[in-house]
Amino acid sequence: MLKASNIDFSYPDNDPVLESISFTIEKAGMLGIIGPNGGGKSTLLKIIVGLLPLEKGSILFNGNDLRGSNKAVYVPQTIKLNDTLPIKVSDFLNLSKKHAQRGIDECLSKVGMIDKKESLIRELSGGQKQRVMLARALMQKPEVLVLDEPTTGLDGQGRDQLMQLLKDLQHDEKTTIVVVDHNLNQVLKHADKVLCLNKKHHWHERKELLTQNIINDIYHCEFEHIRLHEAGTQFDDQHHECQHDHAHSHDKD
Amino acid sequence: MIASLYDFIEFPFLYRALIATAILSLTCGLISPLIIAKRYAFLGSAVSHSTLLGLSLGLYLSGSNAPLSLYLWTLIITLVLSLLLAKSTWRQSLPSDTLIGLFFTGTMGLGTLIHSLTNRNSGDLMSFLFGNVLLLTNTDIYISIILALIIIPLIIIPFNDWILSIYDEEFAILSGVPAKAMHFIFVFVMTALIVSALKVSGTILVNALLLAPGFFALSFAKNIKSTFYISVLFSILTAIIGLVLANYLETPSGATIAVSQLSFLFIGKFIVFIKRS
Repeated sequence: MLKASNIDFSYPDNDPVLESISFTIEKAGMLGIIGPNGGGKSTLLKIIVGLLPLEKGSILFNGNDLRGSNKAVYVPQTIKLNDTLPIKVSDFLNLSKKHAQRGIDECLSKVGMIDKKESLIRELSGGQKQRVMLARALMQKPEVLVLDEPTTGLDGQGRDQLMQLLKDLQHDEKTTIVVVDHNLNQVLKHADKVLCLNKKHHWHERKELLTQNIINDIYHCEFEHIRLHEAGTQFDDQHHECQHDHAHSHDKD
Repeated sequence: MIASLYDFIEFPFLYRALIATAILSLTCGLISPLIIAKRYAFLGSAVSHSTLLGLSLGLYLSGSNAPLSLYLWTLIITLVLSLLLAKSTWRQSLPSDTLIGLFFTGTMGLGTLIHSLTNRNSGDLMSFLFGNVLLLTNTDIYISIILALIIIPLIIIPFNDWILSIYDEEFAILSGVPAKAMHFIFVFVMTALIVSALKVSGTILVNALLLAPGFFALSFAKNIKSTFYISVLFSILTAIIGLVLANYLETPSGATIAVSQLSFLFIGKFIVFIKRS
């Protein structure tokens, strides 16, 4: 089980980005993190994998500290990658072999990219780049896979294929997955639990308990057209794991 | 033209210039693709212009007749300035180009001011702005050789770490690559190289040596290794051609090397354009 408790974080000379954020996800589960831009989603991911310091709180995986354990592998947004240099897929994966426990060919085959092994990364499409990044992560045989907006820039088919790959990993290799995504329907379709995050305001539970009111509250705006699968489910405050009440839903603006 | 080639054997200052240019262009060719890929072109420009402050203080402290002392003072002062700049630009959320721009003009302005107040009669600042191979001494050659012996292993031994930290800095950090230390090492390498290039190419024109080879190589290379081979080869050939032309045409070395490199870059790009169209 991945258990994060009371995480606080603020960048130097700035207001807190995260306050008392807690969540749990079972082994081989998928946690989808949604929320508005600047709400702290990417910051939270970077804290989980150890790119940013953990000021307060704890992040435990099966009872042990996750950060620095090499059990979590981070897959960044492909738009942040600097592909000025002409790197072939195979060369790129060779560069990242430090903690590899699987071969390059095996991982490229898993993500359906073995035929692009000798291609230049900068000539790949957004979806193909994302698959290469996933192959690199698979080389380390991660127990926890942390992905930052992996479907950004992909078309509908590319999004579905990538999410299916993640589902396969979840089921076949019992990988625990934490994924940030802006596509609410996609998160609701694939994730087991949802963390709605907007700085110190957060809601975390099984996706079946997510209602439109909670989303409106986190995003501070009305979602009139979003198709939620909330029919027949009512928000049950007994399942609410946040450390605060819902007062913030009324003090917005 | 051919006769002018014999000048490089006949005249010791030209012989020194040839060796200095070859060594300098080799190291510049090696780091040029990294400068471009790391998007440090503007940072390099700021460091090269900040040498004016280091140079003014160096001329004041050591005079122009002590090349080693002048080099060391200029290097130390420029290094302190550029490492401060490196610290201010490491993984900042604010755009760093504004800070670099301010650093650029601030150090250059201060350098000019100090030179005009203290060094009116010690050293020709114009020679350092545009390069003058007549100033080269044996000490400068030794400095270039030592620098090359330091820089080449610094780039080649952790080559994969350089590439990984450029391509995906966050993954590099998580994989244990000392990306922050490498950021500072890279700024040190650039600064040492720029300071040693002052007499050959000058403060203002050193950027051609730093950028043209990498830009040329990145336009043609099909993989990482060929990028660096092409860059080094282009750098050495075009710099030496520039030096030979400078002697033949009796023009300033820095300007001629810069024009030579940019001409070959333009010709290369033009050929690619013709082929594609």
